[in-house]
Amino acid sequence: MVGSLGRNNEPVVLILTSLASGSKHGYALSKDIEDFAEVILGPGTLYGAIARLEERGLIERTSSEDRRQPYRITSSGREALAGAVREMRVLADEGARRLGLDELARGRTHRPTILGSPS
Amino acid sequence: MNRSRGFDRLLRWYPPQWRDRYGPEMVALLEDTFGSRRVPWRVRVSLMRNGSLERVRGVGWAGDIASSRDRMKAGSTLIVCCWSLFVVAGAIFAKFSEHWGVATPVVGRHLASVGYDAVQWSGEASVGIVVVAALLVVPTFARFLRGGGWSVIRHSVVRTTSFGLFMAAATTGLALWAHDLSSPQRNGGLAVYGAAFLLWGVGVVVLIGSSTATMVAATRPLTLPRRITRTEAGLAMALVLSMVIDAAGVVTWWVAEARYAPSALGGHGAGAFLGMPDVLPPALLVAGMLMVFGLVVAASGVLRVSRAFADQ
Repeated sequence: MVGSLGRNNEPVVLILTSLASGSKHGYALSKDIEDFAEVILGPGTLYGAIARLEERGLIERTSSEDRRQPYRITSSGREALAGAVREMRVLADEGARRLGLDELARGRTHRPTILGSPS
Repeated sequence: MNRSRGFDRLLRWYPPQWRDRYGPEMVALLEDTFGSRRVPWRVRVSLMRNGSLERVRGVGWAGDIASSRDRMKAGSTLIVCCWSLFVVAGAIFAKFSEHWGVATPVVGRHLASVGYDAVQWSGEASVGIVVVAALLVVPTFARFLRGGGWSVIRHSVVRTTSFGLFMAAATTGLALWAHDLSSPQRNGGLAVYGAAFLLWGVGVVVLIGSSTATMVAATRPLTLPRRITRTEAGLAMALVLSMVIDAAGVVTWWVAEARYAPSALGGHGAGAFLGMPDVLPPALLVAGMLMVFGLVVAASGVLRVSRAFADQ
C-alpha cells in the first residue's frame, strides 16, 4: 500500500491521515498537517494531492455552500491509509530492531518476556 | 484592486477545467493563508510549477491514465510536439547551411553531403508521416465537428488561423522587400532588413508553437478507433526514427564542416561577437539543443506508447 500511496511524508498520506479524524477544507487541512507532521504543504502541492486522491476515490467532497469545500476520507481511503500505516510500522520496527532501539521495536522483535516484570 | 482577483491571477497556470473545479476553494485557501500579505515567491513558483504540471497531466503526458488507447494517443501527440521542435531546428539548420557547398573543399564534401542528405530525406519523410497521420484522423475529426466539437476548439483554431494569415502577409511583404535588395544587403548589410527577418523568424516559431497547441487541443477530445490509434502510434514511432536520423545527419554535417571547412561555420559573425569558437556557432548550438531536448522528451512519448502496446 505504501507503494501505491507513496512514502509517509508524501502529501497524499498526510492528507489521508488528517482526514482520518474528520472532514476538513483546504486551510484546515494545511494547518492540521503543519501541526501533526511539521510539514507545510503549499497550495499547489495540497490541491495537486487532493485532486489525485479524489480521482482515485480515496476522498470525496462533502456538500457545502461555502467556497471552502470540505473533504472527507472514503472507506477505500481508510483502507489505503491503514495499509500504508501497517507498512510504515513494519519498516519502523525493522529500523528500530537493527538500530537496537528496543523500546521502539514491536512485532518482529523476539525479546524474552519475564512474567511479572514490567515490559 | 479586488484581492480575490489578485489570487485568481496566480491560478492562471492551471488548465481551465481545473480552475472551474478547484479555483474558488484554492482562492479561499490563499485568502485564509496570506490575507492582505504579499504571496511569497516560493508559493508563486510552486503554483506555476503545479499549474503547468496539471496542464501536462490534462493532455495525458504525465500521470496515470487507465485506458491504454488514451496513453497511446497521448504518447503519439507528445512525439508530434517534439517533432515541431525539429521543424524549428531544421529551419535554423537550413538557413545556416544554405551556402555550405561553396565553402567546403572537395575532400570534405562527401561526409558533409551524407549528413546533409540525411537531414533532407528524414525531413521529407517526417512531413510525409505527419501528413498520413493527419489524414487518418480526418473522418473521426469530421464526426467530432458534426457532433458540436467546434465550440471546444474554436478559440484555438481561430487564434492560429488569424496568426497564420498575419504571417502569410508578413512573408509576402518580406519577400517583396527582399526582391528589391542586393545579396549583401539581404545577408547582414541592411540592419533594418536583418531585424525584420529576425522578427519574422520569431513569428514563424510562434506559429509552429500555436499550430502544435491547436493540434493537441483538436486531438485530445477525439475518440479514435483502436486500429487508427495503433496506426497513429506506429507512425509516431517512425517519426521518432526520422528525428534520430535527422539529428545524426546534422551532427555528421557539423563534424565534417568543422573538420574540413571551419570557416563555413564561423563566418556568420554572431559566434565571434559572443566569443564562441568557430566550430560552435550559436545558431547551430540552438538547433542542436532543440533537437536534443526534442529527442529526450520524445523518448518519454516512446515509453508511453510502447507500454500501452505491451498492455494491450
